Amino acid sequence: MAEPLLSGRGLAKRFGGLLAVSDVNVDVFAGEIFGLIGPNGAGKSTLFRLLAGILPPTAGSVFLDGRAITGIGAARVCAAGVVATHQIVRPFRSMTVVENVMVGAFFGERPRPRLRSQAHALAMDALERCALADRAEQPARALNLPGLKRLEIARALATNPRVLLLDEVLAGLNPTETDRTVELIHAIRDAGTTIVLVEHNLRAVRGLCSRLAALVQGAKVAEGEPAAVLADPVVVDAYIGRSTLVAPR
Amino acid sequence: MPATVRKLVAGLVLLAAAAAVPAVVPGWEYALDTLFIVYLYGALALGWNILGGFAGQISFGHAAFVGIGAYATALLAGRGIPLWLAIPAGGLLAAAFSLAIGPPTFRLRGPYFAIATIGIGEATRLIALNWTALTGGASGLTLAFAPGIVPQYYGALALCTGAVLLSWWIVTSRFGMALAAIRSDPEAAATLGVQTTIAKTQALLLSAFVCGLGGGVYAIHYLFISPDSVFGFSLSISLIIMPIVGGIGTVAGPVLGSVIYTFIREQLEANFQNLDLLAFGLLLMAIVLFEPLGLIGAFDRFTRKRTAPMPPPVRSAGAGDG
Repeated sequence: MAEPLLSGRGLAKRFGGLLAVSDVNVDVFAGEIFGLIGPNGAGKSTLFRLLAGILPPTAGSVFLDGRAITGIGAARVCAAGVVATHQIVRPFRSMTVVENVMVGAFFGERPRPRLRSQAHALAMDALERCALADRAEQPARALNLPGLKRLEIARALATNPRVLLLDEVLAGLNPTETDRTVELIHAIRDAGTTIVLVEHNLRAVRGLCSRLAALVQGAKVAEGEPAAVLADPVVVDAYIGRSTLVAPR
Repeated sequence: MPATVRKLVAGLVLLAAAAAVPAVVPGWEYALDTLFIVYLYGALALGWNILGGFAGQISFGHAAFVGIGAYATALLAGRGIPLWLAIPAGGLLAAAFSLAIGPPTFRLRGPYFAIATIGIGEATRLIALNWTALTGGASGLTLAFAPGIVPQYYGALALCTGAVLLSWWIVTSRFGMALAAIRSDPEAAATLGVQTTIAKTQALLLSAFVCGLGGGVYAIHYLFISPDSVFGFSLSISLIIMPIVGGIGTVAGPVLGSVIYTFIREQLEANFQNLDLLAFGLLLMAIVLFEPLGLIGAFDRFTRKRTAPMPPPVRSAGAGDG
């Protein structure tokens, strides 16, 4: 197999007495849509934040294209080409929609634009892709939740990432909006950006992802084709629990 | 952009009018003196606003930079260094000091940062008070000479104009966008590639430099400086009041705040001691409650209401926006 684009080696994160992620290896290959699944509290979001450089790992390393990007901070990770969206949307509320996206355009992967007009053009391009262009001049706080979720994606896209990390972008969307976002994610991948997503919606995951990794209690318990991972007995147990009607053993 | 052109024209007209004042009213020292104070405090407020307004890092200790600039200018001028060198040296010294305090204080967020800056302001005041050999301690420093009121007037006008131009450049630049993102949500800014600590440090550096220059101009005007005047907590508070009253995070706001601050103080201080503080307190409360963007914000809202219709209501979810 080819070299992975983004990989984590022996990643662990400890919060006081809680080992949220323990000794996880993940490999994401160029052109993939890679899914991280697992029940609540399995450590998905923590692993996600380790990969995005938002949190430094307690142990282990993150590599982009074979180059270590561990512990260099979210801003440098972004400049290297890995960008994350936030599970709970965090727009710059005092700015307009297009200004929000211009921040990504200005400070993303190099070469960075110097002029406002250049950043504006890049931002409009990203808004166009996320179907937000007609909202460009509105204040960000005027958007509803689906709009804010797409704004998160547009901002991240404007950084021109090689790897886009999406944290539960489908959560809170109705079926129509979910379908549109799934389409958008496919389009982003087809335009050449590798995608890692954390997702609760298993139906969407099945349709979207080329590969999955399942986390349970901070450890990776399965990895591979979506159908195989979702059918894995350990994963099924973790999601719906072992049946207690049947006598154990 | 017609709005930008309009602002530029308005600024140039104001600048031309300000520059003409000494020629129009020669010898009217009171007017020149009052306007000098407006420009000086306007520059200081703009300096504070770079860090507090644009980057959202509220400092209660900016008198430290004013004091360092003032003392450096006074000490250097006292040793025969010409003012055109002594004042910039004071600005640079204040900027250098800001580099020392930036890294530790920027580890703190929100109110903790504010409290740390109170500590810095007070610490510098106490050092100035007790380092008697250098600063003369509580008896302060007296400058032996001063340029006339007209050169002072133009000096302060130049400083204020420079601070306005610097602020304007910031709000229209990539750097200003980084600061605005940090003010709004530092963590989200970082994930989009903004080096938040570096950007905040740069803002502090510029902020301290402007306030340090202002300190030097203060020293040559008043000819007497003491720890309680240029390092005093009340000066730090004034530097916060002016931008908030005028419009925090805007370019014109701090200058407008300086006009109002100077006017109120001149009117009230002579006749009713300390009543000006009550006036500022009430003004601050009104601003915070009703118009967080200050008088500039109120003005914007007023003009927009008259000239442009309100934006259409936001369509709700699932209305096929796109």
